[in-house]
Amino acid sequence: MRSVFALALVALALVSGCGGDARAEPGDGLDENLNVFAAASLTEVFEELAPNVRFNFAGSDELATQIREGAPADVYAAASPRYPDELLAEELVEEPQIFATNRLVLVVPSDNPAAIESVDDLRADGTKLVVGAEGVPVGDYTRTVLENMGATDVLESVVSNEDDVKGVVGKVASGEADAGFVYVTDYNAALEDLQAIELPEDAQAVVEYPIAVVSDSENREAADTFVELVLSDEGQQALEDAGFGPP
Amino acid sequence: MRRAFDLLLAVAAGIALAFLLLPILALFLRISPQALIEALGSEVAVDALWVTVKTGLIAHAFVLAVGTPAAYFIGTRRFRGRDVVISLIELPLVLPPAVAGIALLTLLGRRGLLGESFSALGIEIGFTQTAVVLAVAFVAAPFYVRQGIAAFESVDTSLMDASRTLGASPARTFRRVALPLAATGLGAGSALAWARGTGEFGATIMFAGSFQGVTQTLPLATYAQLDLDRDVAIAIGALLVLVSGTVLVSVKLLPSWTRLTSLSLIRSEPSASR
Repeated sequence: MRSVFALALVALALVSGCGGDARAEPGDGLDENLNVFAAASLTEVFEELAPNVRFNFAGSDELATQIREGAPADVYAAASPRYPDELLAEELVEEPQIFATNRLVLVVPSDNPAAIESVDDLRADGTKLVVGAEGVPVGDYTRTVLENMGATDVLESVVSNEDDVKGVVGKVASGEADAGFVYVTDYNAALEDLQAIELPEDAQAVVEYPIAVVSDSENREAADTFVELVLSDEGQQALEDAGFGPP
Repeated sequence: MRRAFDLLLAVAAGIALAFLLLPILALFLRISPQALIEALGSEVAVDALWVTVKTGLIAHAFVLAVGTPAAYFIGTRRFRGRDVVISLIELPLVLPPAVAGIALLTLLGRRGLLGESFSALGIEIGFTQTAVVLAVAFVAAPFYVRQGIAAFESVDTSLMDASRTLGASPARTFRRVALPLAATGLGAGSALAWARGTGEFGATIMFAGSFQGVTQTLPLATYAQLDLDRDVAIAIGALLVLVSGTVLVSVKLLPSWTRLTSLSLIRSEPSASR
Protein backbone atom coordinates (compact mmCIF):
# COMPACT_ATOMS: atom_id res chain seq x y z
CA MET A 1 0.00 0.00 0.00
CA ARG A 2 2.67 2.40 1.03
CA SER A 3 4.71 1.56 -2.02
CA VAL A 4 1.73 2.25 -4.24
CA PHE A 5 1.45 5.70 -2.76
CA ALA A 6 5.15 6.24 -3.16
CA LEU A 7 4.81 5.25 -6.79
CA ALA A 8 1.90 7.62 -7.26
CA LEU A 9 3.93 10.40 -5.68
CA VAL A 10 6.86 9.72 -7.96
CA ALA A 11 4.53 9.75 -10.95
CA LEU A 12 3.00 13.00 -9.79
CA ALA A 13 6.41 14.54 -9.34
CA LEU A 14 7.40 13.46 -12.82
CA VAL A 15 4.22 14.85 -14.34
CA SER A 16 4.52 18.19 -12.62
CA GLY A 17 8.20 18.32 -13.54
CA CYS A 18 7.27 18.07 -17.21
CA GLY A 19 4.89 20.98 -17.04
CA GLY A 20 7.69 23.51 -17.30
CA ASP A 21 8.20 25.76 -14.36
CA ALA A 22 6.18 28.88 -13.98
CA ARG A 23 8.73 30.40 -11.66
CA ALA A 24 8.48 34.16 -11.64
CA GLU A 25 12.19 34.44 -11.13
CA PRO A 26 13.34 35.70 -14.51
CA GLY A 27 17.06 36.02 -14.03
CA ASP A 28 18.98 38.27 -16.38
CA GLY A 29 20.66 35.47 -18.30
CA LEU A 30 19.45 34.09 -21.57
CA ASP A 31 19.05 30.49 -20.47
CA GLU A 32 16.88 27.48 -21.18
CA ASN A 33 13.95 29.09 -19.37
CA LEU A 34 13.49 31.42 -22.31
CA ASN A 35 11.44 29.99 -25.19
CA VAL A 36 12.14 31.68 -28.49
CA PHE A 37 9.95 30.69 -31.42
CA ALA A 38 11.81 31.63 -34.58
CA ALA A 39 11.50 31.16 -38.33
CA ALA A 40 13.53 28.25 -39.67
CA SER A 41 15.74 30.62 -41.68
CA LEU A 42 17.06 32.11 -38.42
CA THR A 43 18.36 28.79 -37.08
CA GLU A 44 22.11 29.27 -37.53
CA VAL A 45 22.38 32.91 -36.53
CA PHE A 46 20.13 32.69 -33.45
CA GLU A 47 21.81 29.57 -32.14
CA GLU A 48 25.14 31.31 -32.42
CA LEU A 49 23.85 34.49 -30.81
CA ALA A 50 22.28 32.85 -27.75
CA PRO A 51 23.36 29.22 -27.49
CA ASN A 52 21.62 28.50 -24.17
CA VAL A 53 18.15 29.72 -25.05
CA ARG A 54 15.49 27.13 -25.84
CA PHE A 55 14.64 27.60 -29.50
CA ASN A 56 11.73 26.28 -31.48
CA PHE A 57 12.54 26.70 -35.16
CA ALA A 58 9.80 26.05 -37.72
CA GLY A 59 7.79 27.77 -40.44
CA SER A 60 6.59 31.19 -39.23
CA ASP A 61 2.99 30.18 -39.92
CA GLU A 62 3.32 27.00 -37.90
CA LEU A 63 4.81 28.95 -35.00
CA ALA A 64 1.90 31.39 -35.16
CA THR A 65 -0.50 28.44 -34.92
CA GLN A 66 1.37 27.10 -31.92
CA ILE A 67 1.26 30.49 -30.18
CA ARG A 68 -2.48 30.76 -30.89
CA GLU A 69 -2.96 27.35 -29.30
CA GLY A 70 -1.14 28.58 -26.22
CA ALA A 71 2.36 27.18 -26.64
CA PRO A 72 4.70 28.64 -24.00
CA ALA A 73 6.56 31.12 -26.19
CA ASP A 74 8.32 34.21 -24.85
CA VAL A 75 9.60 35.70 -28.11
CA TYR A 76 8.37 35.28 -31.66
CA ALA A 77 10.66 36.06 -34.60
CA ALA A 78 9.04 35.55 -38.00
CA ALA A 79 10.14 35.64 -41.62
CA SER A 80 7.19 37.80 -42.59
CA PRO A 81 5.25 40.63 -40.93
CA ARG A 82 2.00 38.86 -41.80
CA TYR A 83 1.84 36.51 -38.83
CA PRO A 84 3.18 38.87 -36.13
CA ASP A 85 0.67 41.47 -37.37
CA GLU A 86 -2.14 38.93 -37.14
CA LEU A 87 -1.05 37.95 -33.65
CA LEU A 88 -0.77 41.64 -32.68
CA ALA A 89 -4.36 42.18 -33.77
CA GLU A 90 -5.36 39.23 -31.60
CA GLU A 91 -3.34 40.77 -28.73
CA LEU A 92 -1.19 37.66 -28.49
CA VAL A 93 2.07 39.50 -29.09
CA GLU A 94 3.29 43.03 -28.45
CA GLU A 95 4.33 45.57 -31.07
CA PRO A 96 6.69 43.78 -33.49
CA GLN A 97 9.98 45.42 -34.54
CA ILE A 98 11.69 44.77 -37.85
CA PHE A 99 15.21 43.50 -37.10
CA ALA A 100 16.45 42.22 -40.44
CA THR A 101 15.67 41.84 -44.12
CA ASN A 102 16.36 39.06 -46.54
CA ARG A 103 16.08 38.36 -50.24
CA LEU A 104 15.39 35.36 -52.37
CA VAL A 105 17.80 33.51 -54.62
CA LEU A 106 17.31 30.59 -56.95
CA VAL A 107 19.47 27.69 -55.82
CA VAL A 108 20.55 24.56 -57.69
CA PRO A 109 22.59 21.57 -56.47
CA SER A 110 26.35 22.18 -56.64
CA ASP A 111 26.67 19.97 -59.75
CA ASN A 112 23.60 21.63 -61.32
CA PRO A 113 22.32 18.48 -63.06
CA ALA A 114 19.62 20.29 -65.02
CA ALA A 115 22.06 22.99 -66.19
CA ILE A 116 19.93 25.85 -64.91
CA GLU A 117 21.39 29.33 -65.43
CA SER A 118 18.33 31.51 -65.06
CA VAL A 119 14.68 31.51 -64.04
CA ASP A 120 13.77 30.99 -67.70
CA ASP A 121 15.54 27.62 -67.71
CA LEU A 122 13.05 26.37 -65.12
CA ARG A 123 10.46 26.07 -67.87
CA ALA A 124 12.31 23.16 -69.52
CA ASP A 125 10.38 19.91 -69.57
CA GLY A 126 11.08 17.60 -66.67
CA THR A 127 12.66 20.25 -64.47
CA LYS A 128 12.04 19.47 -60.83
CA LEU A 129 11.40 22.72 -59.01
CA VAL A 130 10.71 22.80 -55.28
CA VAL A 131 9.15 25.84 -53.60
CA GLY A 132 7.59 26.79 -50.29
CA ALA A 133 3.87 26.12 -50.08
CA GLU A 134 1.37 28.94 -50.32
CA GLY A 135 0.83 30.46 -46.88
CA VAL A 136 4.44 29.74 -45.90
CA PRO A 137 6.40 33.03 -46.13
CA VAL A 138 9.11 31.73 -48.47
CA GLY A 139 6.39 30.29 -50.68
CA ASP A 140 4.45 33.54 -50.79
CA TYR A 141 7.61 35.55 -51.51
CA THR A 142 8.52 33.14 -54.29
CA ARG A 143 5.17 33.72 -55.93
CA THR A 144 5.56 37.51 -55.52
CA VAL A 145 8.99 37.50 -57.14
CA LEU A 146 7.78 35.36 -60.03
CA GLU A 147 4.81 37.68 -60.51
CA ASN A 148 7.15 40.67 -60.53
CA MET A 149 9.21 38.92 -63.21
CA GLY A 150 6.12 37.93 -65.18
CA ALA A 151 7.24 34.32 -64.87
CA THR A 152 4.53 32.60 -62.83
CA ASP A 153 4.34 29.88 -65.49
CA VAL A 154 7.58 28.34 -64.14
CA LEU A 155 5.42 27.15 -61.24
CA GLU A 156 4.25 24.42 -63.62
CA SER A 157 7.61 22.75 -62.96
CA VAL A 158 6.92 22.51 -59.24
CA VAL A 159 7.06 18.94 -57.94
CA SER A 160 6.73 19.71 -54.24
CA ASN A 161 5.31 22.50 -52.07
CA GLU A 162 7.36 22.37 -48.90
CA ASP A 163 6.15 23.39 -45.46
CA ASP A 164 9.20 25.48 -44.64
CA VAL A 165 12.34 26.82 -46.26
CA LYS A 166 14.53 24.05 -44.82
CA GLY A 167 12.40 21.57 -46.75
CA VAL A 168 13.29 23.37 -49.98
CA VAL A 169 16.98 23.60 -49.08
CA GLY A 170 17.10 19.91 -48.14
CA LYS A 171 15.52 18.70 -51.37
CA VAL A 172 17.86 20.80 -53.53
CA ALA A 173 21.02 20.22 -51.47
CA SER A 174 20.45 16.45 -51.62
CA GLY A 175 20.11 16.67 -55.39
CA GLU A 176 16.58 15.30 -55.38
CA ALA A 177 15.27 18.50 -56.92
CA ASP A 178 16.87 20.52 -59.73
CA ALA A 179 16.16 23.94 -58.26
CA GLY A 180 14.37 25.84 -55.53
CA PHE A 181 13.73 29.35 -54.28
CA VAL A 182 15.22 30.06 -50.86
CA TYR A 183 16.52 33.00 -48.82
CA VAL A 184 20.08 34.06 -49.57
CA THR A 185 20.86 33.31 -45.91
CA ASP A 186 19.94 29.67 -46.38
CA TYR A 187 22.24 29.55 -49.34
CA ASN A 188 25.04 31.03 -47.21
CA ALA A 189 24.48 28.24 -44.68
CA ALA A 190 24.82 25.51 -47.31
CA LEU A 191 27.50 26.81 -49.66
CA GLU A 192 29.03 23.37 -50.20
CA ASP A 193 25.88 21.81 -51.57
CA LEU A 194 24.33 24.70 -53.43
CA GLN A 195 24.95 27.19 -56.22
CA ALA A 196 22.98 30.40 -56.20
CA ILE A 197 21.51 32.31 -59.11
CA GLU A 198 20.73 35.92 -58.26
CA LEU A 199 17.30 37.28 -59.07
CA PRO A 200 16.75 40.74 -60.60
CA GLU A 201 16.91 43.45 -57.93
CA ASP A 202 13.69 45.13 -59.06
CA ALA A 203 11.74 41.87 -58.84
CA GLN A 204 12.72 41.16 -55.25
CA ALA A 205 10.00 40.90 -52.63
CA VAL A 206 10.35 42.90 -49.43
CA VAL A 207 11.32 40.21 -46.95
CA GLU A 208 11.14 41.70 -43.48
CA TYR A 209 11.81 39.86 -40.23
CA PRO A 210 9.83 41.17 -37.26
CA ILE A 211 10.47 40.17 -33.65
CA ALA A 212 7.95 40.54 -30.84
CA VAL A 213 7.57 39.66 -27.17
CA VAL A 214 4.66 37.27 -26.60
CA SER A 215 1.97 38.91 -24.43
CA ASP A 216 1.61 35.92 -22.12
CA SER A 217 5.35 35.58 -21.57
CA GLU A 218 6.22 34.50 -18.06
CA ASN A 219 9.79 35.46 -18.68
CA ARG A 220 9.37 39.03 -19.69
CA GLU A 221 12.74 40.41 -18.64
CA ALA A 222 14.70 37.73 -20.42
CA ALA A 223 12.41 38.12 -23.44
CA ASP A 224 13.17 41.85 -23.57
CA THR A 225 16.87 41.11 -23.15
CA PHE A 226 16.76 38.74 -26.10
CA VAL A 227 14.99 41.27 -28.32
CA GLU A 228 17.55 43.92 -27.30
CA LEU A 229 20.37 41.51 -28.11
CA VAL A 230 18.98 40.89 -31.59
CA LEU A 231 18.66 44.64 -32.20
CA SER A 232 22.07 45.45 -30.67
CA ASP A 233 25.25 45.98 -32.69
CA GLU A 234 26.34 42.47 -31.77
CA GLY A 235 23.08 40.96 -33.00
CA GLN A 236 23.04 43.03 -36.16
CA GLN A 237 26.63 42.04 -36.93
CA ALA A 238 25.79 38.34 -36.56
CA LEU A 239 22.78 38.79 -38.84
CA GLU A 240 24.89 40.63 -41.38
CA ASP A 241 27.53 37.88 -41.27
CA ALA A 242 24.81 35.36 -42.04
CA GLY A 243 23.77 37.37 -45.07
CA PHE A 244 20.75 39.24 -43.73
CA GLY A 245 20.20 42.83 -44.77
CA PRO A 246 19.73 45.72 -42.32
CA PRO A 247 16.14 46.54 -41.26
CA MET B 1 -7.24 -1.69 2.27
CA ARG B 2 -8.12 -3.65 -0.79
CA ARG B 3 -10.86 -1.24 -1.69
CA ALA B 4 -8.47 1.70 -1.45
CA PHE B 5 -6.08 -0.10 -3.76
CA ASP B 6 -8.84 -0.81 -6.25
CA LEU B 7 -9.88 2.80 -6.10
CA LEU B 8 -6.34 3.88 -6.86
CA LEU B 9 -6.22 1.57 -9.85
CA ALA B 10 -9.57 2.87 -11.10
CA VAL B 11 -8.37 6.46 -10.79
CA ALA B 12 -5.25 5.64 -12.79
CA ALA B 13 -7.36 3.98 -15.46
CA GLY B 14 -9.61 7.05 -15.57
CA ILE B 15 -6.65 9.40 -15.96
CA ALA B 16 -5.19 7.26 -18.72
CA LEU B 17 -8.48 7.17 -20.59
CA ALA B 18 -9.04 10.92 -20.28
CA PHE B 19 -5.48 11.66 -21.34
CA LEU B 20 -5.85 9.54 -24.47
CA LEU B 21 -9.35 10.57 -25.46
CA LEU B 22 -9.59 14.27 -24.61
CA PRO B 23 -7.33 15.50 -27.44
CA ILE B 24 -9.35 13.51 -29.95
CA LEU B 25 -12.60 14.77 -28.47
CA ALA B 26 -11.29 18.34 -28.67
CA LEU B 27 -10.59 17.85 -32.37
CA PHE B 28 -14.23 17.00 -32.99
CA LEU B 29 -15.52 19.76 -30.72
CA ARG B 30 -13.53 22.43 -32.56
CA ILE B 31 -15.53 22.08 -35.74
CA SER B 32 -19.27 21.79 -36.37
CA PRO B 33 -20.53 18.74 -38.29
CA GLN B 34 -21.65 20.93 -41.20
CA ALA B 35 -18.29 22.67 -41.43
CA LEU B 36 -16.63 19.26 -41.23
CA ILE B 37 -18.58 17.90 -44.17
CA GLU B 38 -18.10 21.12 -46.12
CA ALA B 39 -14.36 21.10 -45.50
CA LEU B 40 -14.11 17.46 -46.51
CA GLY B 41 -15.68 18.40 -49.81
CA SER B 42 -12.86 20.87 -50.52
CA GLU B 43 -10.61 20.11 -53.44
CA VAL B 44 -7.54 19.64 -51.26
CA ALA B 45 -9.26 17.08 -49.05
CA VAL B 46 -10.76 15.15 -51.96
CA ASP B 47 -7.44 15.07 -53.82
CA ALA B 48 -5.62 13.96 -50.69
CA LEU B 49 -8.17 11.25 -49.99
CA TRP B 50 -7.79 9.96 -53.53
CA VAL B 51 -3.98 9.93 -53.34
CA THR B 52 -4.10 8.21 -49.95
CA VAL B 53 -6.53 5.49 -51.06
CA LYS B 54 -4.76 4.83 -54.34
CA THR B 55 -1.23 4.64 -52.96
CA GLY B 56 -2.53 2.75 -49.93
CA LEU B 57 -4.21 0.08 -52.05
CA ILE B 58 -1.15 -0.46 -54.24
CA ALA B 59 1.20 -0.56 -51.26
CA HIS B 60 -1.12 -2.92 -49.44
CA ALA B 61 -1.44 -5.30 -52.38
CA PHE B 62 2.34 -5.40 -52.54
CA VAL B 63 2.64 -6.00 -48.79
CA LEU B 64 0.10 -8.85 -48.87
CA ALA B 65 1.51 -10.49 -51.99
CA VAL B 66 5.08 -10.61 -50.74
CA GLY B 67 4.47 -10.50 -47.00
CA THR B 68 2.18 -13.54 -46.77
CA PRO B 69 4.54 -16.13 -48.30
CA ALA B 70 7.47 -14.51 -46.48
CA ALA B 71 5.65 -14.75 -43.15
CA TYR B 72 4.68 -18.37 -43.92
CA PHE B 73 8.28 -19.28 -44.64
CA ILE B 74 9.66 -17.62 -41.52
CA GLY B 75 6.75 -18.76 -39.36
CA THR B 76 6.87 -22.44 -40.26
CA ARG B 77 10.57 -23.14 -40.93
CA ARG B 78 13.37 -23.38 -38.42
CA PHE B 79 16.70 -22.13 -39.69
CA ARG B 80 19.82 -20.53 -38.35
CA GLY B 81 19.57 -16.80 -37.84
CA ARG B 82 15.77 -16.89 -37.81
CA ASP B 83 15.57 -14.65 -34.75
CA VAL B 84 17.87 -12.18 -36.41
CA VAL B 85 15.71 -12.16 -39.53
CA ILE B 86 12.61 -11.48 -37.45
CA SER B 87 14.33 -8.65 -35.61
CA LEU B 88 15.47 -7.11 -38.88
CA ILE B 89 11.93 -7.23 -40.25
CA GLU B 90 10.72 -5.45 -37.14
CA LEU B 91 13.38 -2.74 -37.34
CA PRO B 92 11.33 -0.26 -39.40
CA LEU B 93 8.65 -0.46 -36.68
CA VAL B 94 10.85 1.38 -34.25
CA LEU B 95 12.56 3.62 -36.78
CA PRO B 96 11.64 7.32 -36.56
CA PRO B 97 9.66 8.16 -39.74
CA ALA B 98 12.10 10.87 -40.79
CA VAL B 99 14.91 8.33 -40.61
CA ALA B 100 12.85 6.02 -42.79
CA GLY B 101 12.61 8.89 -45.29
CA ILE B 102 16.35 9.51 -45.27
CA ALA B 103 17.02 5.78 -45.57
CA LEU B 104 14.77 5.53 -48.64
CA LEU B 105 16.48 8.59 -50.13
CA THR B 106 19.96 7.19 -49.62
CA LEU B 107 18.88 4.02 -51.41
CA LEU B 108 16.51 5.29 -54.09
CA GLY B 109 17.14 9.03 -54.29
CA ARG B 110 18.84 10.48 -57.34
CA ARG B 111 22.21 10.15 -55.69
CA GLY B 112 21.24 6.99 -53.84
CA LEU B 113 22.81 3.56 -53.89
CA LEU B 114 20.35 2.22 -56.48
CA GLY B 115 18.70 5.50 -57.41
CA GLU B 116 21.77 6.71 -59.26
CA SER B 117 21.61 3.78 -61.68
CA PHE B 118 17.84 4.11 -62.00
CA SER B 119 18.31 7.80 -62.71
CA ALA B 120 20.80 6.99 -65.45
CA LEU B 121 18.17 4.73 -67.01
CA GLY B 122 15.67 7.56 -66.89
CA ILE B 123 13.71 6.15 -63.96
CA GLU B 124 13.20 8.73 -61.25
CA ILE B 125 11.24 7.84 -58.16
CA GLY B 126 11.41 11.01 -56.07
CA PHE B 127 8.29 13.25 -56.12
CA THR B 128 6.14 10.54 -57.77
CA GLN B 129 3.32 8.39 -56.46
CA THR B 130 5.72 5.47 -56.67
CA ALA B 131 7.72 7.18 -53.95
CA VAL B 132 4.59 7.46 -51.79
CA VAL B 133 3.78 3.77 -52.35
CA LEU B 134 7.33 2.78 -51.38
CA ALA B 135 7.30 4.96 -48.27
CA VAL B 136 3.92 3.56 -47.19
CA ALA B 137 4.91 -0.04 -47.88
CA PHE B 138 8.22 0.41 -46.05
CA VAL B 139 6.63 1.59 -42.83
CA ALA B 140 3.50 -0.59 -43.01
CA ALA B 141 4.91 -3.96 -44.10
CA PRO B 142 6.56 -4.87 -40.78
CA PHE B 143 3.17 -4.67 -39.03
CA TYR B 144 1.75 -7.27 -41.39
CA VAL B 145 4.77 -9.56 -41.65
CA ARG B 146 5.33 -9.62 -37.91
CA GLN B 147 1.71 -10.49 -37.22
CA GLY B 148 1.77 -13.00 -40.09
CA ILE B 149 4.79 -14.83 -38.68
CA ALA B 150 3.05 -15.15 -35.32
CA ALA B 151 -0.15 -16.34 -37.01
CA PHE B 152 1.58 -19.06 -39.03
CA GLU B 153 3.67 -20.09 -36.02
CA SER B 154 0.52 -20.76 -34.04
CA VAL B 155 -1.01 -23.01 -36.70
CA ASP B 156 -1.09 -26.56 -35.33
CA THR B 157 1.68 -28.33 -37.26
CA SER B 158 -0.03 -31.71 -36.91
CA LEU B 159 -2.81 -30.42 -39.17
CA MET B 160 -0.29 -29.47 -41.83
CA ASP B 161 1.54 -32.78 -41.39
CA ALA B 162 -1.75 -34.61 -41.80
CA SER B 163 -2.46 -32.71 -44.97
CA ARG B 164 0.97 -33.61 -46.36
CA THR B 165 0.60 -37.27 -45.29
CA LEU B 166 -2.70 -37.43 -47.08
CA GLY B 167 -0.97 -36.38 -50.25
CA ALA B 168 -1.62 -32.67 -50.59
CA SER B 169 1.17 -30.69 -52.19
CA PRO B 170 3.00 -28.08 -50.06
CA ALA B 171 1.29 -25.32 -52.04
CA ARG B 172 -2.13 -26.88 -51.47
CA THR B 173 -1.39 -27.35 -47.76
CA PHE B 174 -0.45 -23.66 -47.57
CA ARG B 175 -3.58 -22.56 -49.38
CA ARG B 176 -6.13 -24.92 -47.87
CA VAL B 177 -4.85 -25.47 -44.32
CA ALA B 178 -2.31 -22.90 -43.16
CA LEU B 179 -3.89 -19.84 -44.75
CA PRO B 180 -7.43 -20.34 -43.38
CA LEU B 181 -6.10 -21.17 -39.93
CA ALA B 182 -3.87 -18.10 -39.87
CA ALA B 183 -6.55 -15.86 -41.37
CA THR B 184 -7.43 -14.13 -38.09
CA GLY B 185 -3.90 -13.06 -37.37
CA LEU B 186 -3.26 -12.12 -40.98
CA GLY B 187 -6.42 -10.03 -41.04
CA ALA B 188 -5.44 -8.18 -37.90
CA GLY B 189 -1.93 -7.57 -39.24
CA SER B 190 -3.35 -6.41 -42.54
CA ALA B 191 -5.65 -3.90 -40.84
CA LEU B 192 -2.87 -2.54 -38.63
CA ALA B 193 -0.55 -2.22 -41.61
CA TRP B 194 -3.27 -0.38 -43.50
CA ALA B 195 -3.82 2.01 -40.60
CA ARG B 196 -0.10 2.70 -40.23
CA GLY B 197 0.25 3.23 -43.96
CA THR B 198 -2.67 5.66 -44.03
CA GLY B 199 -1.11 7.73 -41.27
CA GLU B 200 2.37 7.74 -42.81
CA PHE B 201 3.88 11.24 -42.79
CA GLY B 202 7.62 11.61 -42.23
CA ALA B 203 8.98 9.24 -44.83
CA THR B 204 6.51 10.50 -47.42
CA ILE B 205 7.28 14.20 -47.00
CA MET B 206 11.03 13.52 -47.16
CA PHE B 207 11.03 11.03 -49.99
CA ALA B 208 8.03 12.02 -52.11
CA GLY B 209 7.53 15.69 -51.27
CA SER B 210 4.10 17.26 -51.10
CA PHE B 211 2.10 18.13 -54.20
CA GLN B 212 -1.67 18.27 -54.28
CA GLY B 213 -3.19 15.48 -56.34
CA VAL B 214 0.14 13.67 -56.79
CA THR B 215 2.00 13.03 -53.56
CA GLN B 216 -0.01 14.94 -50.96
CA THR B 217 -1.66 12.30 -48.79
CA LEU B 218 -4.17 13.07 -46.03
CA PRO B 219 -1.56 13.46 -43.27
CA LEU B 220 0.51 15.79 -45.46
CA ALA B 221 -2.59 17.77 -46.40
CA THR B 222 -3.69 18.28 -42.80
CA TYR B 223 -0.25 19.65 -42.00
CA ALA B 224 -0.09 21.89 -45.06
CA GLN B 225 -3.60 23.23 -44.49
CA LEU B 226 -2.83 24.39 -40.95
CA ASP B 227 -1.68 27.77 -42.27
CA LEU B 228 -4.20 28.08 -45.09
CA ASP B 229 -7.54 26.80 -43.85
CA ARG B 230 -7.66 25.42 -40.35
CA ASP B 231 -11.16 24.05 -40.82
CA VAL B 232 -9.92 21.84 -43.63
CA ALA B 233 -6.90 20.80 -41.53
CA ILE B 234 -9.14 19.84 -38.62
CA ALA B 235 -11.65 18.12 -40.90
CA ILE B 236 -8.94 15.97 -42.49
CA GLY B 237 -7.61 15.21 -39.03
CA ALA B 238 -11.07 14.11 -37.92
CA LEU B 239 -11.42 11.97 -41.03
CA LEU B 240 -8.12 10.24 -40.23
CA VAL B 241 -9.37 9.56 -36.70
CA LEU B 242 -12.52 7.96 -38.12
CA VAL B 243 -10.51 5.83 -40.55
CA SER B 244 -8.13 4.67 -37.82
CA GLY B 245 -11.03 4.01 -35.46
CA THR B 246 -12.78 1.89 -38.07
CA VAL B 247 -9.62 -0.14 -38.63
CA LEU B 248 -9.22 -0.71 -34.91
CA VAL B 249 -12.81 -1.86 -34.46
CA SER B 250 -12.54 -4.22 -37.40
CA VAL B 251 -9.37 -5.72 -35.93
CA LYS B 252 -11.28 -6.38 -32.72
CA LEU B 253 -14.27 -7.88 -34.51
CA LEU B 254 -12.21 -9.90 -36.97
CA PRO B 255 -11.26 -12.81 -34.66
CA SER B 256 -14.83 -13.82 -33.83
CA TRP B 257 -15.84 -13.48 -37.44
CA THR B 258 -13.00 -15.42 -39.06
CA ARG B 259 -13.01 -18.13 -36.43
CA LEU B 260 -16.43 -19.08 -37.68
CA THR B 261 -15.58 -18.90 -41.35
CA SER B 262 -12.23 -20.68 -41.15
CA LEU B 263 -13.68 -23.52 -39.12
CA SER B 264 -16.56 -23.94 -41.52
CA LEU B 265 -14.09 -23.86 -44.40
CA ILE B 266 -12.28 -26.86 -43.01
CA ARG B 267 -15.43 -28.71 -42.05
CA SER B 268 -17.17 -28.15 -45.32
CA GLU B 269 -14.23 -29.58 -47.24
CA PRO B 270 -13.34 -32.85 -45.56
CA SER B 271 -11.71 -34.00 -48.79
CA ALA B 272 -9.62 -30.86 -49.11
CA SER B 273 -6.40 -32.69 -48.45
CA ARG B 274 -6.84 -35.42 -50.96
